Amino acid sequence: MNVSYNWLQQYVAIPWSVEELAERLTLAGMEVESVSSADPGVSSIIVGEIKEVQRHPDADGLTVSVVHTGREDLTIVAGAPNVRQGIKVPVAPVGTALPNGQLIEAADLRGVQSFGMMCSEQELGLSDDHTGIMELPQQSKVGQSLSEVLGLDDWIMDIAIYANRPDCMSMLGMAREVAALTGSSITYPSIETVEDVHAVTEKLGLRVEDSDLCPRYMARVIEGIEVGPSPLWIESRLRAAGMRPINNVVDITNFVMLEMGQPLHAFDYDRLSGPEIVVRRARPGETLLTLDGQERNLDEEMLMICDAEKPVCIGGVMGGANSEVTANTTALVLESANFSAANIRKTARRLGIASEASSRFEKGLDPSGTELAMERAAELLRKYAGGRVAEGVLDDHAAASKAVDILVRPKEVERLLGIAVPTESVHSILSALEFQVEEQTNGDLQVTVPPFRTDIELECDVIEEIARHHGFHRIPQTLPASGAEPGGRTDRQQAVDALTGLLTGLGLQEAINYTFVHPQSMYRLGWDEREFGGLVLENPISEDQAVMRLSLVPGLLEALARNHSRQQSNASLFEIGSVYIPEDPGMERQPREDLRLAVAMMGQRNPRHWSHSNSELDFYDIKGIMESIVNQFELEELSWKRTQCPWLHPGRSVEIQLQGRWVALFGQIHPQTASVYRVPKTVLVGELNLAAIIDHFGRRLAVSALPRFPAVDRDLALLLDEKVPVGQVLAALQEAGGEILDDAWVFDVYHGEQVPDGCKSAAFSLRFQADRTLTDEEVQEAMDKILYAAKEQFNAEIR
Amino acid sequence: MEFRQRVDEVKQEALEACQGAPDSQALEQVRVKYLGKKGSLTGLLRGLGQLDPEERPNAGKLVNEAKAEVESAIKHRQQELAVMEQQRQLEAETIDISLPGRPRPQGTMHPVTIVLNEIKRIFVGMGYSVAEGPEVETDYYNFEALNIPKDHPARDMQDTFFFNDNLLLRSQTSPVQIRTMEVQKPPVRIIAPGKVYRSDSDVTHSPMFHQVEGLLVDDHVTFADLKGTLQYFAEQMFGSHTKTRFRSSYFPFTEPSAEVDVSCIMCSGQGCRICSFTGWLEILGSGMVDPRVLRMVGYDPDEVSGFAFGMGVERIAMLKYGINDIRLLFDNDVRFLRQFEGQGGCC
Repeated sequence: MNVSYNWLQQYVAIPWSVEELAERLTLAGMEVESVSSADPGVSSIIVGEIKEVQRHPDADGLTVSVVHTGREDLTIVAGAPNVRQGIKVPVAPVGTALPNGQLIEAADLRGVQSFGMMCSEQELGLSDDHTGIMELPQQSKVGQSLSEVLGLDDWIMDIAIYANRPDCMSMLGMAREVAALTGSSITYPSIETVEDVHAVTEKLGLRVEDSDLCPRYMARVIEGIEVGPSPLWIESRLRAAGMRPINNVVDITNFVMLEMGQPLHAFDYDRLSGPEIVVRRARPGETLLTLDGQERNLDEEMLMICDAEKPVCIGGVMGGANSEVTANTTALVLESANFSAANIRKTARRLGIASEASSRFEKGLDPSGTELAMERAAELLRKYAGGRVAEGVLDDHAAASKAVDILVRPKEVERLLGIAVPTESVHSILSALEFQVEEQTNGDLQVTVPPFRTDIELECDVIEEIARHHGFHRIPQTLPASGAEPGGRTDRQQAVDALTGLLTGLGLQEAINYTFVHPQSMYRLGWDEREFGGLVLENPISEDQAVMRLSLVPGLLEALARNHSRQQSNASLFEIGSVYIPEDPGMERQPREDLRLAVAMMGQRNPRHWSHSNSELDFYDIKGIMESIVNQFELEELSWKRTQCPWLHPGRSVEIQLQGRWVALFGQIHPQTASVYRVPKTVLVGELNLAAIIDHFGRRLAVSALPRFPAVDRDLALLLDEKVPVGQVLAALQEAGGEILDDAWVFDVYHGEQVPDGCKSAAFSLRFQADRTLTDEEVQEAMDKILYAAKEQFNAEIR
Repeated sequence: MEFRQRVDEVKQEALEACQGAPDSQALEQVRVKYLGKKGSLTGLLRGLGQLDPEERPNAGKLVNEAKAEVESAIKHRQQELAVMEQQRQLEAETIDISLPGRPRPQGTMHPVTIVLNEIKRIFVGMGYSVAEGPEVETDYYNFEALNIPKDHPARDMQDTFFFNDNLLLRSQTSPVQIRTMEVQKPPVRIIAPGKVYRSDSDVTHSPMFHQVEGLLVDDHVTFADLKGTLQYFAEQMFGSHTKTRFRSSYFPFTEPSAEVDVSCIMCSGQGCRICSFTGWLEILGSGMVDPRVLRMVGYDPDEVSGFAFGMGVERIAMLKYGINDIRLLFDNDVRFLRQFEGQGGCC
């Protein structure tokens, strides 16, 4: 909300500069987001009066005027259609600059010398209006600076008002806050109601049918209206608040709304059928052309202000064009009403309207606030629009709001804030905010909440008022007494942290992807289902982020693809995060959120370097990572098997299972998936179902003593059929080697020369170790068993 | 010729040869030539027999002294040559030390994780437990239980993603407060880190981001305790000179509520572009837990009181590392991630 510093001073004395005021308001909860000069840069523009106008001798659209500026008469050539003798206009003489920086120079316009410029509102930076030269009120003094005339010698504070403070969406509300800060009180405008002899009841009927949505409806009839421009001071106030003056009737309703926070509406009395005001829900199929020129489809949840026949206004949201005040209007129905906040909010949302009125009503206004605003507007219409106010007010008031009384105990103030606030300060703050305070004998305060403070219900709400105006800075900093129990992370959290440490230690980079993905992400991954089986957002931000992920793999593949397209072809990423698995098709229950860990890698094993030749990451790199990960868990025997996973290369992928449940899938990407995601075919990717095993994190570790006796190393090269899995051979050798075989590993796998077609050579290193010095015979005996097993089980030949 | 003279000559010759030996091989030849079985000094010793018996002892002594002198010279020369040879060897082994070293693969933690761990470390150190809750929440936990009924204007403060009338993506980590208090009697001292979601996307807003919520409920917890706790946090997080400023604010689930600013970490409060020349950065929302919320979980607000606070992890990471576009954090470009090498530890 734009708040004018000068205007504010009409209601409350401000002992501070605008900067200091802004700072204090901000600390007290009225966040001043910016302070700017009201003057867009028009102080050198002056008021001129057009003395005479002639047509330009050589140009059809142009006029040549003599403009009197007090000191001199300037000849000015202009193209605006509204140039005419006698009007007062803003003039930029030669040598001055416009707010946009344009310097005014003498110019030859088709043979006529022009010595200045008459300006439109747009050229002055006051509005977007460029239809003609701005016309100033006749009472403006020739030669006076425009910023004085328009009251632009002012500061505008842009203040963010919290959703619970609709009372502050007004100058009086803001002034109240200032008064509480200065320790003073505010001055209300004095209002003099002068009524005509004719009773309003002779002229208008009022029927509120749906009082649940309209707790109060007040109406007056005002005749004798002469629609015209508003007095300059009203126009200035509106401009300061960022509103465009329109005509005196509309301006006055807006002015009162800005001043008091109560939205008003004026209908053209003569355009109403009846004449009657009926407040009711819209009927099926009803429509209304609203003031912004849009045809609105109404529904039965929307509250309409109607005449005897038809809707004329969406109550509290926007008026209809069919009853709009025009230049020809001579009589008004002036509405000052209160509407259900929730309903206004719903209607405004549904219609996509955020008007000044709806933004106030939807936060909850006080039904008694209609009275003062009605009287203020009636008075101004009488004074500045020729209005004759019919005697009496139509007032349908469903239920008078009950005053809220709250007991505020100084003890409680201290219990919550940690300090005692002096009673005088409490009194001063609360009375400036218009709470009535009655001190009881025990020191407790009986506080009556002013009706406009719809946000105050409990003692703590009043304590907040005391705290913020007393000043948070006055509250000391202490530390709470230390807790009885130590804090910390759960085992699961520690497991995730440790895995993050492990994977970064293995050289991978942690990624965080959006958890919502494209609905086709699983299909793109190669799953058959075109229909996404996961959670679908009702209001996604875009199609790419429309459903909750069922796998971390798409996100990581997309990250690889982005890197690849940016010439970053070496990347090893991992992510630990949730997938969201619906528990029931109707989505009544919350989904399961399963923790997963995924890895995706591409490119060279090591960065290109002068010291080694390049080698590309392959299946065994990701297998090594998966081995490192599962080694961190204390698990029963895992099975590692070939798998048919749609996004993995069938010949180069593994599924790890634990008692039939999947633990991980990994391998080289399926070429089809690679081309869908636009990543290299050599990408390696895997996903681990952390949720299934995380409770088993943490290997039980018992350190074994270091061997005291020498080990015996033997190498063994076996000729094997190409199809025989070397891993199985290794396992068989380990089994056959018995207790003294301490370790065995594969150190070479070879095809080619000296190896027959269809065969391969695998070389194993075997280390024998025992708690004694091994004899040759012992080792040989073990070797024999190993060879026998290799021959028996795999038809292996020793090489 | 005098015997003594001959001994001297041979000795002189041997010493010179010794000095002139260019390498250990040549030196060995010198040793053989003079001290070997057939060497000239050895020969002189053998020729003693031809001398007068009375001269022999003296002559013998002369030869032995000469032998010792040559032996010592050879030893000395040997050492010299060894040093020289090692020098030559080292020179031959000299490599280009300006070539880049062989890098060991180094992984990185995501900046959000780095900052989260730092926050966790600080609060765990203050006795807080780390609590978690679901990201797909019910309307009740995300709103109702936090004193935000349906059609409350505060719902507009956070544009929420919905799945249906009941299920939504939590727009704040505050539901974890409720879930924790429902199952735990006071005292409660938790932080709740996690992903939250709001329908908003530009350079400073991401539809998914991370928050850390804090909650402390006990007897006699005051706003002053809240101030002290967050001041301590700010000093730990941003440095010991960091100041805090509490501004009145509005959150439906705290009363009183405050936004917490810290003195700008870029300019130390002098005013710069980062803090929009205010000297302050808005980092946290906080307040005393609203009694309506306490009652909702079955606590008695006359018996216990508490404070809660919440902060955006991305915002802190962006300030700390000078990241100007939040989307970089979820883009996972390796050139961005690589810059965090060596940063961050466990909590």
